[in-house]
Amino acid sequence: MDTLLNVAHGFGVALLPINLLYCFIGVFIGTLVGVLPGIGPISAMSLLLPVTLSGTPESGIIMMAGIYYGSMYGGSTTSILVNIPGEAASVVTCIDGHQMAKQGRAGPALGISAFGSFIAGTFALIALMLVAPKLASIAIAFGPAEYFSLMVLGLVVLTFLTQGSMPKALLMACIGVVLGLIGLDSITAQPRLTFGRMELIDGIGLVPVVMGLFGVAEVLLNTEQAIKRDIINTRITHLLPTKADWKASAGPVGRGTILGFLLGILPGGGAVVASFASYALEKRLSKTPGRFGHGAIEGVAGPESANNAAAGGAFIPLMTLGIPPNVVMALLLGAFVIHGLQPGPLLITQNPGLFWGIVASMYIGNVMLLVLNLPMIGMWVQLLKLPYNILFPLIILFTILGVYCSSNNVFDVYVMIAFGIIGYFMRKLGYEPAPLVLAFVLGPMMENNLRKSLILSQGDLWTFVQRPISGVCLAFALVLLIAPLLPALRKKRELVALDEGA
Amino acid sequence: MTDQTNVKLRLSNSELWGGLIGLALGGFVIWSGLKLKLGTINDPGSGYVPFYAGILMCVFAGSIIVSAITEGGPTLASRWENVRWSKPLLLIACLVAFSVALEPLGFLLSSIPLMLLLLRLIDPVRWTLAIPIAVLAPMGMWWVLKRLLLIQLPSGLFGIG
Repeated sequence: MDTLLNVAHGFGVALLPINLLYCFIGVFIGTLVGVLPGIGPISAMSLLLPVTLSGTPESGIIMMAGIYYGSMYGGSTTSILVNIPGEAASVVTCIDGHQMAKQGRAGPALGISAFGSFIAGTFALIALMLVAPKLASIAIAFGPAEYFSLMVLGLVVLTFLTQGSMPKALLMACIGVVLGLIGLDSITAQPRLTFGRMELIDGIGLVPVVMGLFGVAEVLLNTEQAIKRDIINTRITHLLPTKADWKASAGPVGRGTILGFLLGILPGGGAVVASFASYALEKRLSKTPGRFGHGAIEGVAGPESANNAAAGGAFIPLMTLGIPPNVVMALLLGAFVIHGLQPGPLLITQNPGLFWGIVASMYIGNVMLLVLNLPMIGMWVQLLKLPYNILFPLIILFTILGVYCSSNNVFDVYVMIAFGIIGYFMRKLGYEPAPLVLAFVLGPMMENNLRKSLILSQGDLWTFVQRPISGVCLAFALVLLIAPLLPALRKKRELVALDEGA
Repeated sequence: MTDQTNVKLRLSNSELWGGLIGLALGGFVIWSGLKLKLGTINDPGSGYVPFYAGILMCVFAGSIIVSAITEGGPTLASRWENVRWSKPLLLIACLVAFSVALEPLGFLLSSIPLMLLLLRLIDPVRWTLAIPIAVLAPMGMWWVLKRLLLIQLPSGLFGIG
């Protein structure tokens, strides 16, 4: 009964005209960045982070969340029609989605991807409503040791799942922690690694780091090659899947939804991992795995449902524990912090309007996306024809303005350009930026909790092992750190390793 | 990978360079941590976490170096093989020039040439399209930010913008 009352309260907040407008802007921009290759939800969210300042916290966060799950919808359009993933979570959709389009079945591929996404998004929201308050009530009992160990686990999971060698990912995570510590020490107020520059006293901003590593570096990489697009030019019809399509897709949608949601909750996991895992699962369960890669609708339905369910599930650790499980959620945490809010176990009780309003708006956003993605598909196809040589200077201009507006400080533009160049060379040498960014956000929190635990336990390191939740998290982290040393597990890791950065 | 592109103990081994840069950074972080004072385990100081993070960096960088020496790695040149390496280089040069010009010239006078350069240098867009985009996009943005959102952009020594 309480949940129903809360949901009603949430809809009351989400249905306010201003919040509906922000929700629409969010899902529209999300679909747009999902459709356009070369700009993903991370770049778009960091670009719009300063815009959230102009409204209420609800409006700003509703818009940011809309960009995230909106991009999951939009990404599939580009994958299916152009064979280029609009964003990283849609990489796997290219395999069968584009083959379906080539066989004249672009309509059902787009249709099942939109319906699958809607079903998964709806399930994820219902599960979020049920799980989040329960987890939040448990999380109140978490001490600094548990928080520290959970963050360590999140970072280790992400480094485990990142493409390339694990020592490189771990090195990136350590660099991220150190970058996050630049500025005044929160306990002793001593300046650290500021090199005597006043601009660094408050630390490096998240927006210039993310925009540099993901926005500018991505553009630099894209300019290395002339992007050729194999756009399907035929008229797209029959968006509604047939009975046979539904029959083939029902299982993958259901399994993808549950798998995606569970992987979304895990720290370090997320939409990209979920889509790959769902594809692998469907291929393994299929009686005719040979059809995969040649236009199997299950290969579109499963991953597309999984990435949307994961997008919903990823809100749980952020909202209940205050720990962002991936880079996108780290940006959302930034939006909370900008408004002076601290997500965590007390958010639901202290700010019920905000929490339930965001959840309700996500449901409304899912309905908006269904409307945006199916009848307006022609418009998105036209947009895909915008040449990259016109698009990328605009992306650069937007990133410069976005960074400048986030702090009204030219220094941040320099930081962004520097991180853009560093990010380009990092990618060229096989170093992924995702662990660095997540560690950059988690670094100060990790340090704070580590120091608090050591002070509280009077320097007893066993406190991290003796407390059950903390011990389990550290044990998992240790297993994942050792895993790549074992040849069998190393092979498995290579199969699931992902490019989170795209 | 061919013998020319996969090398072991050679200066052209890109993995080796990656590891060495990581090692140098780790060493610097350890030194910074020591300078900031480590404190004790009962009461960790400001340098405690940077110091141990620096040690971990050195360990991971060391592991990258060992793997680069024993297993080899692609050469630096091979990382830029079959790509238009001059394009990102041009883009980097444009961005560096822009960052130098931004404060003295202001947003409009620095971003219009930047846009024009990006539109013409990388994958050239025809002049009749490049000029309007290069002028209208920054001016449109400037107008929205300054007039609608009341955000002050750098106006430079000439006070334009």
